[in-house]
Parts: sequence; structure tokens; C-alpha cells
Amino acid sequence: MLAFILKRIILLLPVLLLVSIISFTLFYLSPGDPAEILLTGPQGPPDPAAVQEFRERAGFNDPAYVQYLRWLTKAVHGDLGYSYTSGERVSDAVLDSFVPTLKLSLVSLIISLLISIPLGILSAVRKGSVIDGLGMMLALLGVSVPSFWLAYLLIILLALQLDLLPVAGYGQNGDLQHMILPAVTLGASAAAVTSRMMRSSMLEALQQDYITAARARGLPERSVVLRHALRNALLPVITVIGLNFTYLLNGSAVVETVFAWPGIGNLMTDSIYERDYPMILGCMLFLAMLFLALNLMVDICYYYINPRTRHESGD
Amino acid sequence: MLIIRNCTAVMAISLMILILSSPVLAASGNSGKVLNGDLIFGPDENLDPAYKYTGWYMHEAGIYETLFGLDENMNIVPKLATGFDQVSDTQYEIHLRPNVLFHDGTPLDAKAVVFSLERVMDSSNPRHGEFSFIDSVSAVDDNTVSIKTKEPYSPAIASLIDPLVSIVKPDVNLNTTPVGTGPFKFDSYEKGVKLVVKKNDRYWGDKAKLDGANLFFVSDSMTRAMQLEGGDVDIARGLPQTEVQNIKGKSNLEVLSKETMRENLIYINMRKAPFDNLSVRLALNYAIDRQEIVDTALEGVGGVAAVGVFSSQNPWSANKELKAYEFDQSRAKALLKDAGIADTDGDGWLDYAGKPFSITIKTYTSRAENKPSAEIVAAQLEKIGIKTNVEILETGALTTDLTNGNYDLALYSWSTGTTGDPDYFFSKHFLSTGAEAKKTGYSNPDVDKWLEKARTTFDQKERMKYYTKVQEQVLADSPEIFLFYLNELVGVNKKVKGYVLYPSSEINFLTPELSLGD
Repeated sequence: MLAFILKRIILLLPVLLLVSIISFTLFYLSPGDPAEILLTGPQGPPDPAAVQEFRERAGFNDPAYVQYLRWLTKAVHGDLGYSYTSGERVSDAVLDSFVPTLKLSLVSLIISLLISIPLGILSAVRKGSVIDGLGMMLALLGVSVPSFWLAYLLIILLALQLDLLPVAGYGQNGDLQHMILPAVTLGASAAAVTSRMMRSSMLEALQQDYITAARARGLPERSVVLRHALRNALLPVITVIGLNFTYLLNGSAVVETVFAWPGIGNLMTDSIYERDYPMILGCMLFLAMLFLALNLMVDICYYYINPRTRHESGD
Repeated sequence: MLIIRNCTAVMAISLMILILSSPVLAASGNSGKVLNGDLIFGPDENLDPAYKYTGWYMHEAGIYETLFGLDENMNIVPKLATGFDQVSDTQYEIHLRPNVLFHDGTPLDAKAVVFSLERVMDSSNPRHGEFSFIDSVSAVDDNTVSIKTKEPYSPAIASLIDPLVSIVKPDVNLNTTPVGTGPFKFDSYEKGVKLVVKKNDRYWGDKAKLDGANLFFVSDSMTRAMQLEGGDVDIARGLPQTEVQNIKGKSNLEVLSKETMRENLIYINMRKAPFDNLSVRLALNYAIDRQEIVDTALEGVGGVAAVGVFSSQNPWSANKELKAYEFDQSRAKALLKDAGIADTDGDGWLDYAGKPFSITIKTYTSRAENKPSAEIVAAQLEKIGIKTNVEILETGALTTDLTNGNYDLALYSWSTGTTGDPDYFFSKHFLSTGAEAKKTGYSNPDVDKWLEKARTTFDQKERMKYYTKVQEQVLADSPEIFLFYLNELVGVNKKVKGYVLYPSSEINFLTPELSLGD
């Protein structure tokens, strides 16, 4: 197992390198002079002389590969540089904005699981029933509805009409009151995917021979479903949950903007608009790392839940 | 079964932790006299007012003050200065207000003023160019500062209004601990979330009526409107035009609106045929129905159709005698015909030099009104037979295109002068060496001469004579098409009293007069 994890971690390095090269290239090829954009204020475009000075200082006049290598050398030593717009350390900024996103993602994930797992099981067990039809319709709606629309709808209903929750904002360090609406918005689409997966995977499990056998032994249906079928049906669902979680952690720029939530999605979009490339590269690298780490964790979960993979990995 | 029970347990525990770790009840601490307000833009991590445009936001929050300021009618008023003597064409002696204390209790003196100005003039400041007219700053005595300019420069005093030259306490870390002299003092800041200020009990002027304020930075305009409606905030800037009617309909809310110094205009690429031809530029002016843009793109509430380059909100420098180009399509067509642009192949579209005459309007979207306005202009040009496209670019890409002359028309939003002095905008746009004039290719020796003279003339009436001529000439030469002056729309809960909307609203928000009823 340890060897397996180590191998996976070593494999991360070329992936991260590739991510940084692609991000840098995209940044370099995108139109517009970053110095010009960075210095543009509410008064309008900046003084051309100031732009030249900035280009000189930031080393924008060097060839692209020199700029990239300069960044890479520092990054290898753990220094992701400083933001061009705010002057703060990129690593600090990324971590600072990741905390709100992490909080929001955890609550969204919990909400999505609380909805999707029971809904998926119920739909599978009562296949073809009204519950199934309604549940899957909701799931379809969940994936199809754009999140900003759902966000506004929830605000109008729960914050404006019923006055139960605050409209938006980060409150006192992202308290639960302020977190519920954005978390439900994000959780809804995640729940939709998971419940469909849960349903189909459960249906498949219920058709297996061991289920027939379990029923033949006279086990109560509850036990057949929850003890025998669910355990096997959960495997593919875990992959989906893992993917959902990484999607949530990448921070939805839309939801974060609507709810004025200071997360990493907001940080990324702002840095892209401002061409703050140390920040963009820092975010990309961090998110890529996170994505890979979560995938690794999903694999490890698999290893423990499914005994078969244990034998295959030859450990 | 075990897994499921575990999963449920883990979920329940994490939910519990989240609930416990969030001081839910503490969130509703909006007691009595603390104003909650939504702003659009906020400072970066760095809170130093000399850093880019951070000073504007800190000035909005009432933390810092400048030597001179503008009142709500755009008149220059003394703030931390009580007045000035002009010693010569190139030297001013500024008298400081006595008995002013910084937020930490130390007195304001000439040394602090010299420090505050010199650090902006330093070449490491990206905006130092705006103050390169200053030769030197020195303290004459504790309460007098002398400013020497390199050349006679009449906007000198007005330029001290820009919060870039906020007067700061030397020897403190201004990035994290702002110490100013304003009616409010800094309490805390969460980047991208909020700035919290408290009343300054030792303020030199009328003390603030509020105990403090929470200023939230919310980039989504719909969210700002809904927060106002839901009572999360008492005041919200930058309402979406579509929400104005809805908010006006609520009994506890109102919408305040005022023409600002911000203007939307179209650059014409005079370096490119046929736009080098005056008739073509005039035709474009006649073909555009400015009122229709205001009524549709701005929902009738977001702005005022433009006449000349300056709105009448510009205190002394707007030429109020100017006459707007009337909307007159047949005149536009006739002018185009004079310039050799007519429908020669009978397909209903105008042709120029044997090819269909088509125009691309380039613009950017970080100002919400740009795209709809450009689309309406395009539709209006199509009505007189010019094939017109709108192309959306990012600001940086657009500026590059403009610098390289790679455009026909470009729709921009500009502030015509935060300090109230017309020199800033005019020299950039219409002096042939100005950065924006280079983009349109505009050069008129008369205008150059008038602008140079106005800059070195100190009598305001004399200066106005030059600026009157400049505005007439620019409207006639039309290197830029002036579309509309933007309105600031502020949603206010009726319990907020004493809120004054400034034309230079981008730097003014919290004032001592603001209070909360109920």
C-alpha cells in the first residue's frame, strides 16, 4: 500500500509541471498587456510611462521561457511569489481564500449526501414508483438548473419572502447562517449527480445473485438492501462523490460571486481579469495538487472498501 | 451497515463542529448606530492610500483626508489646510489646520504632510507621474508647507484633492494599520469581505453621528439590491438599473440618483480612412440617438444623454452653451454621401471605395453599461445602412488595439476628473501629446495652444475662456463621440439620514452627517 501511494505521489510531479506550463502558456498567449491591465484604475487607462516602468520591473520584457524558468526556479523552492495587484504572498492568499471555499464545500457535500444517498436508494428500491419518478425528475432539474438562477430563487424565497436567512455575505467568519444558501445551491447540483449514480448502481447490485440468495435465506428486505446491496453499490458512488468534492473545492466562481463569498473561485476570476499571473499560477498549481490528492484518497478508500482491489495491488 | 452508520456519524459530527465553530448568534450585532453598507470595489490586501487606488476606498470610508476637498457642488473646500498663499507662479504656501489629531492622538504637522506628498512623488510609486509637476515639498514651520512646482501649473491645488495624497501618520505600517485624521478610524479589514470603521471622537470638525460602519464589498449588483431589500444592509451603491423600479416600490426604501463625473464616449480612429474625414465623423454623431441609448441600455435611469465633453456637473469648467448633435438620419446620410460613402451596388448597404462600408465597435464589459450601449449604437448605424459589429474585448487587449490603431470605433467609460479640475481629462484626450489623443490620432494646434495656456493661467475666469473654446472645438472636430453621463444609483433604507451623493462619488461615501434613524 505504501509503495502504491509513493508511486502515485511521484507521478504527481510531471502532472504539476505540465499544469504550470499550460497555465503559463495560456496566460502568455492571452491578449492584452498585463502591465497595462494591472495599472488600469477607475480613472481609465494608465500613463504609458508607468506601464513601461512596470514591465521593466516585473521582467515582462524578457522572453517567455526566461519568465517561466524564473518563476519555476522559485516555485521549486516553495516560493510562489507575490501578487502583482495586492503585493501579498501568493501562498498566503491562496490558502486564505481556500478556507472559506473548504468550509462551504464540506457543508455542500454533507447536504448533497443527505439528499442523494437516501433518494438514490429509495428510487432504486421503488423503481418505477411515483417516488422514483419524482426523485429522478428532481435530480434532472438539479443538474440542468443554472446555479446563479437557483441562487437568486433561494434568496428571493428564503431570505426576502420568508426572511429566515441573510441574503448574502460572509457574516462572522463564514457562520452557518450565511453558509446555508450558498451550500444548498452548490449541494443541489452535486446531489443530482450522486443520486442518479446511487440509483443506477443500486439497481445493478439488487440484480446480483447474492441478493437473490440473501432474499432466499429469508433476510428482511431492509437488511438485504442496506447491508448487502448498498455496500457493493457504494463503490462507483464514492468515485462520483470524490469528483463532486473536487468540483466543489475548486470553488464555484458564480456562486461565490452571487453570495459575496471570499473563496478561491472569486480569487481566480479576479486574478484572471487582472492578469495577476503569479496568483493564477499559484491557484492552478494548488487546485491541481488538490485534485490529484483527492483522487489518491478516493483510490485509498476503494482499497479499504473493496477487498478485491487489495488483492490485485499485490500487497 | 457499519459503513453507513459510520458515514452518518461522520456527517453528523462534522455538521456539529461547523455549527459550534460558527458564532451564529453573534452575527446579528447590528446595534443602534452602526451603518451597514454595500460598496462595489474595495482595497487589496494592502491598505496604504498611496498604493494605486486604495486611497479612494479609504477616503470613501472616511479614514483619510486630504489638504483640500470637494463639496457636493464640486467646489474646492479646505480640509486639512485652511488655505494657501501663492507666493509665485511656481510656489504655494499651504497653511495647515491647527489642532488636528491623528487617530492615534498625535498632532498633525507639516512634517507629516511633507512625508505624505514625497512618498507619492517617489519613482517607485506607479502613479508618481500624476505628481511629477511638483519640484519639491518642504516644511516652512510646523503649520506651513511650501510646494514648488517645476513650471507654472494651475491645477496644482486641485490635484491635492486626489486621495492618493491622503495625509498619513508617518512611521506606522500603513499597509495594515491605517492612521489618518478622518471622522472615522480604522477598526478591522477582511479582504474581499468588509472594512469596519469606528467613530473618531477626536475629529477636528463636526463629529460623526454614527458610532461606526461595516462596509461590505459585493461585486454582484443583483446581490447588492437584494441585500438592501432583505435588510442585510442599510445602503447599497451601484444598484442595477433593472431593479430601480422594484426598490422604489418598497415603502421603506428609496433610490437616490445623481449625474456623476463619469462619461461614456466613443473613440474614433482618425488615423484610418474614412474616419480621417470630418464629414464621416459628423455623420456618425448625427446618426446616433443618445436618448434612445439612455432609455433602453440604461433603462431610462442610468444616465443623461450627453451634449459636449463635460456634463454640467463639472463645477466651473463645463461649457453650458454647447448644442448637442441632433439625431438626424437624413443629414447623416447626406454627410456620408459627401465623403463618398453611398449605396453603389443597390444592396441597401452603404459602400466605400468599392467595398461594403462596415464598422466594428470595440468595447469591454467590466463596466456593465458598455455592451448594451455599443449594441444600440450598432443598431442605429445599421439603420442608415452601415454594417456594424460589436466586439467585446478585455480592457488590456482593447488598449493594445487602440494603441496600435487597430480599430474603427471604441466605446469607453471615463471619469472626467475626480479632482474637479478639467486639465487632467483634457490634456489626456485632446492635447496632441496626450495618451488618449494618440489613440484617436487627434491633433489640433489651436486646441494644443489653448490647453497649454489654460494650464499656466491662474485666474479661473481666464482659464475658463480657453476651456470654453476647447470644448467647442472638440465637439466640432469630433475625435470622440460623447454618448451619456452616467448616473450613480444608490439604494437607501429610509432610516438612513443625511446621505449626500457627491458627483465625485467614487471617493466620497461616509460623512459625519450620516446617521441612522429608528
